[in-house]
This record gives sequence, structure tokens and C-alpha cells, in this order.
Amino acid sequence: MRQKLASVTGAVCLLAMATASYADGQAVFEAKECVACHYTEGPAQEKTIEDQQAKLGPELWYAGDKFQAEWLTAWLTDPQPIRPLKFNSLTEDNPADHPALSADEAASVGEFLMGLTSGEVEAGTVKVKKNAKGRQIFTKKMPCSGCHEYAGRKGNVSGGRSGPSLVDAGVRLNPDWILAYLQKPEFFKPVKMMPVFVGLLSDKDMANVAAHVANFKPKK
Amino acid sequence: MKYVTTLAAVTGLTALLNAVPAAAADTEMVYQFYCAQCHGSTGKGDGPNVTKDFPVSPRNFTDAAEMNKLSNADVKNVILDGGPSVSKSPMMPPWGKTLTEEEVDGLVQYLRVICACEGKQG
Ligand code: HEC
Ligand code: HEC
Ligand code: HEC
Repeated sequence: MRQKLASVTGAVCLLAMATASYADGQAVFEAKECVACHYTEGPAQEKTIEDQQAKLGPELWYAGDKFQAEWLTAWLTDPQPIRPLKFNSLTEDNPADHPALSADEAASVGEFLMGLTSGEVEAGTVKVKKNAKGRQIFTKKMPCSGCHEYAGRKGNVSGGRSGPSLVDAGVRLNPDWILAYLQKPEFFKPVKMMPVFVGLLSDKDMANVAAHVANFKPKK
Repeated sequence: MKYVTTLAAVTGLTALLNAVPAAAADTEMVYQFYCAQCHGSTGKGDGPNVTKDFPVSPRNFTDAAEMNKLSNADVKNVILDGGPSVSKSPMMPPWGKTLTEEEVDGLVQYLRVICACEGKQG
């Protein structure tokens, strides 16, 4: 119920109407020591390679821009690996040992995290549908598939392992955030193992490839 | 901070705009962070991205015969502009918008240490 309301009325109303729950979520986030591995206040802290390598988990200060609320709440109760490799490692596999929350905790932490937005993502810019140009960029023109797993037409997973898996990314990520992440690397994460594509891909092609990635969904 | 200021003064506005505020020229760290994911931590072309369906083997930097076919300028160009700029695979990314010129020059030298070779001259 709460979730539906959130997706219908958007972040502004959510903040106004559900402040109590946002605060509950923040309290759980602190009590469960999520703060030991995740920071939740911008701007980006990764200014050098050392900064990134000192971190124990991904930054969450723009979680509300990045994730889909429904996916987030479900993942918090049953956190399955997203990155094939252990965080900040090139040799060890993801140990699949992320702490899990109860459904109630996940609902309030989900609201807290979905309230963390940057104001740098324009809504409604990426049209999610089959995008031949985007597919071409992802698998042929650019090295995206060299670092990211994705599912082929028959559901077979291929691709590189150093980046987060993009299998079913359309359920997990906000399509408009994918575009913003490509367009504003210095804002979201100035230092990361992924190349900067600004000046190499046009805004239009960034939107194409974002649409392709946002269209990665489970086969029905 | 000092580094950023010096960099700006030395290389001018264009470089500043392209540059991410990365750590000062610690080439080993730069290599391990950006290149090892495909070329491997010792340069053998065996990073974790190279699974059985990776379309083309990343260059093995310990192969002196192969690395001697490239001049330092060739190596620099492919790092900056990616595989397709020299008719090679697009799986070799363009790093020109990610790394500073200083970092790329450092990497060219670093690869020469790994291959223990001087590269094509002239
Ligand atoms: C010991 C460090 C650690 C603690 C404690 C921790 N996390 Fe994480 N978290 C991680 C790592 C590492 C990942 C990446 C997991 C993956 O890719 O599979 C992650 C991923 C996430 C993600 C997905 C982020 C993304 O960008 O993919 C969310 C959301 C999250 N954690 C929330 C939480 C919450 C809520 C708590 C507290 C209940 C918590 N974490 C506690 C280390 C931690
Ligand atoms: C050299 C490896 C590499 C290449 C090439 C690459 N990426 Fe990435 N990508 C990464 C890594 C590593 C991250 C995680 C960065 C971080 O959070 O530190 C990432 C993050 C992402 C994310 C966010 C995923 C998440 O859950 O946080 C998206 C979306 C993405 N990349 C799309 C692309 C697209 C589209 C391309 C091609 C235009 C591309 N990537 C090329 C390595 C790469
Ligand atoms: C996403 C995987 C990937 C990453 C990351 C990567 N490379 Fe490559 N690289 C390749 C592949 C694949 C080739 C072989 C291309 C071919 O032979 O068609 C290659 C080839 C090269 C070559 C030889 C080019 C030639 O003309 O023979 C050099 C030099 C090189 N890479 C340097 C680097 C450096 C330096 C970095 C880090 C800044 C790096 N690469 C990061 C995949 C990658």
C-alpha cells in the first residue's frame, strides 16, 4: 500500500506525507550498522582511487535516483549478489553474505533510501523499449559487455565480471538514472573502473544505450 | 588540491576538463585499477573479464614480440582512443576522457617495464 502510494505520488509528496516512516528507516539504517559500509550524504566522496578502494560497500547517497522502490524493498529482505566479484576485488567471487532485513525493516529502510535523491536526474527522458541502436552500442560499438554481464535472447548470461551485473537491470535501476550516470560521471562518481563516455557517445546514443539496458528484464 | 592546481597550470584548461581528479601519478595503482580487469594484474591478458565468451584476447603485455610491433606513440594512441582507432577490437576501451595525459604517459612506460622491451623505434 505504502509502496504504491510512493510510486504514484512521487518523491515530493512522499517526503511530505511519510516523514515518520523515512525517519524510522533512517533509525533502522543506523541501528543495523549499515552506515559502517555505506555513506548516504552527497556529494561524491570518490575523488581518488584510494578513496574508492577504502570503501566497504557502494555509496547510497543517490539511492532514490538509482533504484526502483519495489526492487529495493524486496532485495533488502533477500539480498542476492549484484556484483559478480567481491566488492573492490578482482580475484574473489562475491561471497553473497549481505545482511538481510525483515519485511518491516525493509519497508522503512526502503523509504529512507528512496528519499535520497540528488536533483540531477531528469524524469521521463528514457523511453524503455527495444532499441536496436542501443543494443549495437552495448555489444559491438562500445566495450560495455566487456565489463558487464547481461542476458542474451535465450536468457543465457554472458559478458564481463568487473562491473555490476546488468542482468534484469530494468527491474533494478531507474532508466533515467542510467542516462544521468552516463552523462554526469563527475557528479555521481568521479573515480571508478568504468570509462567516461562523455564526448565519445552523443546524448542521443547515451539515451539509446540507457534504453537498451533498462529493457533488460526477466524472460516471461 | 595542490596537485589539481599544478595540473591546471601545467596542462591548461582542456586537460583540466577531461581529467578526473585522480590520484597523483601512481602508475602501478592506475594500472591495477583500470587495466588489470581485462589485461590481468601481471599483464598476461587474463583479467576477470576474460571469460570464455570474451570475443578477443586482451593484449598480453609480457609478450615482447607483440609489444615490439608497437611504438610508444601507438600504445599511447590506443589507450587514449580505444581499439577501433587502430582497427582493433572495441573491447579495448577509449580512456582519453577518463585518464589524465600524465597517467597515460605513465602507463606507456609501465607497459614497457612489463614487456621488458623498447617498442618499435622512430
Ligand atoms: C560489511 C559491509 C556492509 C554492511 C554492514 C551493509 N552493506 Fe549493503 N552492501 C555492501 C556491499 C559490499 C554491497 C554490494 C553487494 C553486491 O554487489 O552484491 C552492498 C550493497 C547494498 C545495496 C545495493 C547498492 C548498489 O549500488 O548495488 C543496498 C541498497 C544496501 N547494500 C543496503 C544496505 C543496508 C540497508 C544495510 C544495513 C541493513 C547494509 N547494506 C549493510 C556492504 C555492506
Ligand atoms: C572497463 C569496464 C567497464 C566498461 C567498459 C563499462 N562499464 Fe559500466 N561499470 C563498470 C564498473 C566497474 C561499474 C561500477 C562502478 C562503481 O560503482 O564503482 C559500472 C557501473 C555501471 C552502471 C551502474 C550499475 C550499478 O548497478 O551501479 C551502468 C548502468 C553501467 N555501468 C553501464 C555501462 C554502459 C552502458 C557501458 C558502455 C557504454 C559501460 N557500462 C561500460 C565497468 C565498466
Ligand atoms: C574491457 C577490457 C579492457 C580494458 C579494461 C583494457 N583493455 Fe586494453 N585491450 C583490450 C583488448 C580486448 C585488446 C585487444 C584488441 C585487439 O587485439 O583487437 C586490448 C589491447 C590493448 C593494447 C594493444 C593495442 C594494439 O594495437 O595491439 C594496449 C597497449 C592496451 N590494450 C592497453 C590498455 C591499458 C593501458 C588499459 C588500462 C588503462 C587497458 N588496455 C584496459 C581490452 C581491455
